[in-house]
Amino acid sequence: MHILVVEDDQVARDALAKALAEAGHTVEVADNGLEGLQMASSAAVELAIVDRMLPKLDGLALVQSLRATGRKTPVLILSALGEVDDRITGLRAGGDDYLTKPYHMSELLARIDALARRGDAGNAEANTRLKLADLEVDRMTRRVTRNGKKIELTAREFQLLEFMMRHSGQVVTRTMLLEGVWDYHFDPQTNVIDVHISRLRQAIDKDFDKPLLHTVRGAGYSLREDE
Amino acid sequence: MEPEQRFLGVLGSSPFRIAVVYSLVFAFGAVALLGGVYFAVSEVVDGSTDNLIEAEVQGLREQVLVLSRSDFIELVEQRSQDQDVRGAVYLMVDPQLRPVAGNVPAWPKIAANQGKWIQFKVSVPFGDATREHEMRAENFPLPGGYRMLVGHDVQERQDVKNLMLRGLIAAVVLTMLLGLGGGFWMGRRILAQAGAISAVATQIMRGDLSQRLPVRDAEDEINTLAREINSMLDKIEQLTLGMRTVLDSAAHDLRTPLNRLQATAEAAMTGLAPASTERRVLERVTTEVDRMRSTLDALLRIALAETGTVAREAVDLSALVASMVELYEPVSEERHIQLESSVIPGAQVQGSRQLLAQALANLLDNALKFTPEGGHIRVLLRRAGSGPEVVVEDDGPGIPADKRELVLGRRVRLDEARKLPGSGLGLSLVAAVTKLHGAKLVLDDANPGLRVTLQF
Repeated sequence: MHILVVEDDQVARDALAKALAEAGHTVEVADNGLEGLQMASSAAVELAIVDRMLPKLDGLALVQSLRATGRKTPVLILSALGEVDDRITGLRAGGDDYLTKPYHMSELLARIDALARRGDAGNAEANTRLKLADLEVDRMTRRVTRNGKKIELTAREFQLLEFMMRHSGQVVTRTMLLEGVWDYHFDPQTNVIDVHISRLRQAIDKDFDKPLLHTVRGAGYSLREDE
Repeated sequence: MEPEQRFLGVLGSSPFRIAVVYSLVFAFGAVALLGGVYFAVSEVVDGSTDNLIEAEVQGLREQVLVLSRSDFIELVEQRSQDQDVRGAVYLMVDPQLRPVAGNVPAWPKIAANQGKWIQFKVSVPFGDATREHEMRAENFPLPGGYRMLVGHDVQERQDVKNLMLRGLIAAVVLTMLLGLGGGFWMGRRILAQAGAISAVATQIMRGDLSQRLPVRDAEDEINTLAREINSMLDKIEQLTLGMRTVLDSAAHDLRTPLNRLQATAEAAMTGLAPASTERRVLERVTTEVDRMRSTLDALLRIALAETGTVAREAVDLSALVASMVELYEPVSEERHIQLESSVIPGAQVQGSRQLLAQALANLLDNALKFTPEGGHIRVLLRRAGSGPEVVVEDDGPGIPADKRELVLGRRVRLDEARKLPGSGLGLSLVAAVTKLHGAKLVLDDANPGLRVTLQF
């Protein structure tokens, strides 16, 4: 994927560019908002990571201008401000996701993958039936089967599974789950998400040979068919 | 406001109460003034009639001594017919009270010796009909057992007095009605203005500092007051925005180097063997960055809550509490702690859903941290007084009564808690968020354990 990084802090920018390149992306960088906006307007850019406070043109203004020209390029906003209200302002300005500094590179990479997928797979949103290996989820009837066998889930476990299915093959972090499934934006001191995942794992993996729900060390979880 | 409540509200308003008092004072004044006039006029009119009658009686008494009975009767008849003395009445009766002369048809039904002055009614022609007229007369004995009545028609006088009385009553009623009506109108006006002001004040209290009190194009006290309050609000808004700016710069200046540290450490880690010493050192660095980040997040959230500049929305408290319980239920079950809850539906507050969730999470994190295996945590959302109330109680060690105030301060961790993880900011954040929502935070003894109550 071709990613644009607009960040004025050189240390952060270089580390970000390096990590993205290592993850297999091609990277363009800009160190101010004006240049960033010009580069982001190019059709070649598939995704943009924009710092919120930039010289020449503020990150939020950049995103607003980009959206005003009709560009739907997914944008992840990086912010060194607080998160309670600033996240809302960031998303309202046209950002697709919002990450507060300091962040883990694994968190950022997971979110970029999710954003990229959302870009090319609006169809996944519309699909009423999700399928991974022998696991099937019917979003209309809320029926879950594996290998033809019906699996009983609570409402929340179903939401959790649905979220994981929509991001199957990707790494999903705990914060993404708390945001995506519960709509909360904080880090609980207790491992609440892990316990919900282990319950879901009990339900969908326990009686079957091949596990589908994997733990990705240091990052989060991934629902995928292991080769 | 319901129409009935609005009506009762006007009755309780100060202008209306003042109007009631003034109406009573004016009504009392009207009674005193018109009453005084009434009595003075009565006195004069009554007195002059009585004098007239006295003079006539005196004359007749002298005549009776010098005239024969038949001449006297002649005289009485003559006086009775005399059209010049309008309204004068005469009656002369024999010892059996049978009329002998005069223009009154019969002796009034009164005892013969019932004092000098008597009042009685006589039918007099009035157009085609007759009308009862009030008469006032002096009665006195004549020689030979005869008696005599000399009086005057006082109906006109009575009519004037009645008219004055009716006027008096009308004046009082009118004063009261005008006073109360005016008071009601003024009360409504003031109440409408006060209502507009208090609506805006509520919004300002909820954190919308851009709101200003409505000012009309008039120079009355309320407008002057509103203008002064508005310029005070301008100042408060400036100060709060300034605080917010300082907070934002502080956040930026602390997060940026932390981010560099994290990025550098993570970059350096790639390519290092999982168990190498270098990698372990770098992992320690990122763990510390995480810890600093969560402390920084907590501090910034507390500061943000304290500026009161957080955007508000209607928060479904019932759904929020239920979902937090649901979020924490599996983890408590895993720790063999029973998480019980009772949540009433439909509770709503104005505020920040995310901050309220964070506060509840902190309370639940704390409860889980301090409740021993096999213990209980109870979460309640109930109606108490004017608003909802959230209760989180555990049967852990609790907090000694003398230290409850202390733990709400910044970074206070009781000795017993030092070995447990946490920033020590959990309850401070709960306190700040509670204050932001205009709620009251109460810590007390759950016997055993700690009970935390958020009273909205």
